[in-house]
Amino acid sequence: MKIRKTYFVTTLICLPVLLIMCKKPGLFLESDYDPRLSGGMATTFDETAGAFGHAIPLLNANDELAHNLGDAAVGQSFVTAPAPINSGLGPIFSNVSCVSCHHNDGKGSPTAGQVNSSLLLRLSILGTGVNGEPLPIPGFGGQLQDVAVFGKQPEAKVDIQYTYQTIPLPDGTLVELRKPTYKLLNPYLPLPNTYFISPRMAPPFFGLGLLQNIDEQTILAYADENDGNADGISGKPNYVWDAALHKTTLGRFGLKANTASILTQVAAAYQQDMGITNSVFPQESSHGQLQADGLPDDFELPDSILHAATFYIKTLAVPARRNVTDPTIIKGEQIFRQINCSNCHIPTLQTKVDVTLAATSNQRIHPYTDLLLHDMGEGLADGRPDFLANGNEWKTPALWGIGLFPKTNGTPFYLHDGRARTILEAVLWHGGEATTAKNKLLQLSTSDRNALIKFISSL
Amino acid sequence: MKKSICCIVIATILTLGCKKAENTNTSVEDFNTLKTAAIADFVHVVAVPGYAALKTKATALNNAIIVLNSATTQANLDVAKQAWKDVRSTWENCEGYLFGPVDSDEHDPETDTWPVNFVDLEALLADNTHSLSVADIESLTNRALKGYHPIEYVLWGKKSSPQTAVTLQANARQKLYIVSLSTALKNQADALYNSWISTGGNYSNIVLTAGAATNTIFTKKQAVYLAILEGMVGICGEVADGKMKEPFDAEAFTPGSGAELVESPFSGNSLIDFKNNIIGAYNVYLGKYATQGKGIADLVQQKNRALDNNIRLKFETAINSFDNITVTYEEAIVSQRIQCQQTMAAIANLSTLLDTDVRAFITTNITD
Repeated sequence: MKIRKTYFVTTLICLPVLLIMCKKPGLFLESDYDPRLSGGMATTFDETAGAFGHAIPLLNANDELAHNLGDAAVGQSFVTAPAPINSGLGPIFSNVSCVSCHHNDGKGSPTAGQVNSSLLLRLSILGTGVNGEPLPIPGFGGQLQDVAVFGKQPEAKVDIQYTYQTIPLPDGTLVELRKPTYKLLNPYLPLPNTYFISPRMAPPFFGLGLLQNIDEQTILAYADENDGNADGISGKPNYVWDAALHKTTLGRFGLKANTASILTQVAAAYQQDMGITNSVFPQESSHGQLQADGLPDDFELPDSILHAATFYIKTLAVPARRNVTDPTIIKGEQIFRQINCSNCHIPTLQTKVDVTLAATSNQRIHPYTDLLLHDMGEGLADGRPDFLANGNEWKTPALWGIGLFPKTNGTPFYLHDGRARTILEAVLWHGGEATTAKNKLLQLSTSDRNALIKFISSL
Repeated sequence: MKKSICCIVIATILTLGCKKAENTNTSVEDFNTLKTAAIADFVHVVAVPGYAALKTKATALNNAIIVLNSATTQANLDVAKQAWKDVRSTWENCEGYLFGPVDSDEHDPETDTWPVNFVDLEALLADNTHSLSVADIESLTNRALKGYHPIEYVLWGKKSSPQTAVTLQANARQKLYIVSLSTALKNQADALYNSWISTGGNYSNIVLTAGAATNTIFTKKQAVYLAILEGMVGICGEVADGKMKEPFDAEAFTPGSGAELVESPFSGNSLIDFKNNIIGAYNVYLGKYATQGKGIADLVQQKNRALDNNIRLKFETAINSFDNITVTYEEAIVSQRIQCQQTMAAIANLSTLLDTDVRAFITTNITD
């Protein structure tokens, strides 16, 4: 009896404890998280010109070695074959190294065909290929190579002209917008009468490992292709052929989400931008063209370097936000949500579990993108379909790091073609599904508009 | 009595003298003054004088090559080679602070791209219809045909076919090429210097006004210090992990292949290049170039003398370790691999210390 009593008392004492232990953990409040950690664990606190070039913290020694190998690889300049090192440039190309376009692992200048150019032109004719891809222009392919090794002719040179207009804001502020037009000069053979051109600025490298690690279902949860909720915003996934995976899958990289994986993005850049063949794209960009060098199309890039460069980009950390306690910036963040910028520029996403890379696994990140396509209106339209993206649609670009472009790239250039020289210009180009948000911005007081811009600059 | 008073006075003085230094308001003010002074001296003592020297030496190289072009003697070839080494030495020092216009205006890739594109270079020289004017050289879209290394290639030639006054005299296009190349190099050095001075791009002012409300690049003084630190860490990494390690590793994998990867192979100047890079970073730390100013060293010394001593020791160990390599780097990766490893390790130790302890020092002590 005495024993039973002891059991009874013990049970009475332990039961509440056990019940408390079994309680489901509560969710953290928004304020429990550090808002500076844009990349979660994969965040760097450098805000200098080198902010985009840091490895995610706490890589193990092996991963750090691979990252450093990739870092060296993306800085290498290629030269004309045969050469003892870095051989195989061209014969036609856009630039000689990754960093020539992705300056400081970021963007560059919206020019084409110059040593520091970061702009390339996608080309196509009406129709789609067997995998749904845009049809290349015969003799030119799907991307213009506007530079050539000595003795070869670029496919064409690009003439970029801007037309200017001044937009008066309600408070009297005048904003000058410029719109580029592109003309192909001196093509090495006649171009067809009708073809599509799409200018694309080289985007920053960092944070891509996190974006690759967002579960597809998470992205699709924001899709609303037919605008079922009638908020004027669709959100359409682009499904694209991936040359490395040999299947059609969700696109998440590139300005029209026309690339599914970092590996394919990197391999395509080596082949199309520099003329360096590799295991994913084993044929020269000039293959089948009059200017093909006729040399055997062996892999000019060893797989180890291709994968190291891919790993480097996968493991570049996201710069932390700055001045997050500044009241003006906090106000700007509220306005960002109030005028529905955040409907497409999704502030917070969660990555899935990845046992191979802890810093990108299960991270709460702040990329400010939904990785989906949106109609951005005629003003930004390129008129060129790209897999499921139509000529008006662009992928919502990530905004993390945007405030550091002036430091990493000198004059910052925004939007897909670098036409915008300030964040305000970029916002004013928003049309289509973003028209309502832009109109709300136009109605803001000067101080509220400045707070919004200051918030975006803190990302 | 007098003796007693004297003893008391001396004892008092000694006691006061032995008093432990306190972090008084005065020392805080001194540190704040020092923070500003070290930035000012980075500009006025290190960066601008460095770029001024680069401009002067690039002009000297250009002049020497112009003389060589008109009188192609062995003596003039030797003078031009020495002028190349001189400007190279200054450039490598300046690489200790690769931020600002040298980076954003791309002076670095425009003048120091490696490797040389030999196929295109030979094709360019062989094509008599292709102009080699300065304008044509400057407008080349292939940077692997411009800058220090193509000039080096023409002045020294390949190991298998070294350049002499006789061989150079026989190749008018080679001479024309290096006249234009060196003029373009001088123009780059001029532009880089001008980008810092008040009558030009005035980047100095952006550095000097760090923390001012109007400064959008360096919103805090801390940002300048971190940019300077990134420059020092960056060049250590470039030397140890890139310029030295890549040929070293290649030689281990495929004997005979490492030498192809060594930068400045024609002049055999690679080790001097590497050493001057680290000296350049040390100059930045100390705040000196031709003259001595205030540097990060003074700040560290005031708060943490042991750390300052350690940084100086690591710098000097790394710099002095180059002297243990007694042959060219192309040869050393074959015959003196241990010495090469020791130098790379010394630079890596330095880099780690800068990247951790100095970074922590800056972020802790320079918050404005």
